Amino acid sequence: MTAAAHTRPRLTFRGVIAGEWTKFWSLRSSWITLGVSLLLLAAFGVIAALTYSPGLVQGPPGTAVSTSAVAVALTGSTFASLAIGVLGVLVAAGEYSTGLIRATIAAVPARLPVIAAKTLVFGAIAFLVTAVGAIVAFVAGAPLISTEAIAMGLGDDGVLRSLIGAGLYLALVGVFGVALGMLLRSSAGGIAVLVGLLLIIPGLTRLLPDSWSEQVTPYLPSNAGGAMMTVHQADGALSAGAGLAVFAGWVAVALVAAAYRLVKTDV
Amino acid sequence: MIEVRQVSKRYGDKTVVDRLDFTAKPGQVTGFLGPNGAGKSTTMRMIIGLDAPTSGSVTVNGRRYAEHAAPLHEIGALLEARSVHPGRSAFSHLLSLARTHGIARRRVDEVIELAGLTAVARKRVGAFSLGMGQRLGIAAALLGDPAVVMLDEPVNGLDPEGVLWVRNLLTGLAAEGRTVMLSSHLMSETALIADHLVIIGRGKLLADTSVEALVADAGGGVRVASDDAERLRHALSGPGVSVASHAAGELEVSGLSAREVGEIANLNNISLYELSSRATSLEQAFMELTHDSVEYSDRKVAA
Repeated sequence: MTAAAHTRPRLTFRGVIAGEWTKFWSLRSSWITLGVSLLLLAAFGVIAALTYSPGLVQGPPGTAVSTSAVAVALTGSTFASLAIGVLGVLVAAGEYSTGLIRATIAAVPARLPVIAAKTLVFGAIAFLVTAVGAIVAFVAGAPLISTEAIAMGLGDDGVLRSLIGAGLYLALVGVFGVALGMLLRSSAGGIAVLVGLLLIIPGLTRLLPDSWSEQVTPYLPSNAGGAMMTVHQADGALSAGAGLAVFAGWVAVALVAAAYRLVKTDV
Repeated sequence: MIEVRQVSKRYGDKTVVDRLDFTAKPGQVTGFLGPNGAGKSTTMRMIIGLDAPTSGSVTVNGRRYAEHAAPLHEIGALLEARSVHPGRSAFSHLLSLARTHGIARRRVDEVIELAGLTAVARKRVGAFSLGMGQRLGIAAALLGDPAVVMLDEPVNGLDPEGVLWVRNLLTGLAAEGRTVMLSSHLMSETALIADHLVIIGRGKLLADTSVEALVADAGGGVRVASDDAERLRHALSGPGVSVASHAAGELEVSGLSAREVGEIANLNNISLYELSSRATSLEQAFMELTHDSVEYSDRKVAA
């Protein structure tokens, strides 16, 4: 056996990121799920524009009150958030279900770099893909509703910010998935909690007394996230910046819990 | 060098590893033996930091594993359970591990060739046979050109050719001055390659010895046949000597060497027509050593 004399191997954070990058792109499911997310965003945006009529109220959660061309373009964002979130869970929990985590931790025994690298790699990929998807949906759909009252152009106030906000929201949903997958170490469990927090809990708050519901609802993950991608905020919703802060807070809590479990327990 | 010092691992009130203490030295193949459930895999997981010991310390080349600048260069490990995503190719799996350490792509190809996986390197690992999976695990262990190679049940699922390959590979690695440690529940297999044996049962150290010493300690005996067996029995008897007879004219003597038996017979003018030492087989010595600590013995099942 030849010793690697010239390039002395050394564990670095850059290396861990490169390793996660290779892991991500070498699975067919990554390509398929990213493609599906992109397709959902673009196709639903165009279909919603094609079928738009002013009488109908549409758009992602938190935008229902004041529909805009941006809201129409982002019709697919709920579906895309599921695809990206599930992929995030799989990126993390898949390590446990396959046993790969043992090889990963043997290579990176400090452990924390693993969750940090997964977050950065998957967050960046999810952001780029979904931001592009959102912009494509808007640009392709805008000509179809150019004669409607809600028509807007890419250069209009808040449009690009909202579309990039959608990419940021979806990337954070993906990272939320990574955190839940690392925390629960189970694909099924991670997906269940993710779907519960994003889709089911918001519906349940309707059961609360109105005064409570008004206090709680805007701070739920999907509602706070929805505020990041709307041009005109609905009454009682958070501002885009506050929405980002609140949703990022949710993700941060999940990440800290996941990091704690990763470092403190046996794998 | 692997140094395990007074290491214990408890899960709730179940003690899986109990104050285990041993050293695996460079240039030697250390066989890590014990019945199923003895705590071998748990110990190996603690060596590479996957599990934290409840008490005691484990070091690899003088430091806790996680403190090394290039962990894969210090120790390469094959764990019993498969540690690879079935959807990834062997090449991508190894490359993703190599990149964490900045190990060159050339080295990935090298270990793939060494493990005999070149033809299937781009195929998804999920389609691999048990033996191919094992070869991939060994390739991963060698990736970082490690000073210590630690393999948990490496010959599981390998065909005879693969078993021979592993045997030659490990002997070669030890000859290069590396520390080699392999676990097994099969004495016969391990005795062929190990210089040093660490035997555990129910998490406790039972023996830290060499193959020769284990056989010698287990005793064995001398088988002698004579027409004058009764007189011979009297002549042989003494402190520390026991004599048994299973057939007329035949004696089984323990506590004396064949040479001593022959001399005593000569002094007493007793003619012998058979005199042979019978070494206890390794397998027997191993079973004797571990039979009290087998987790699920036949007797218990019957009872």
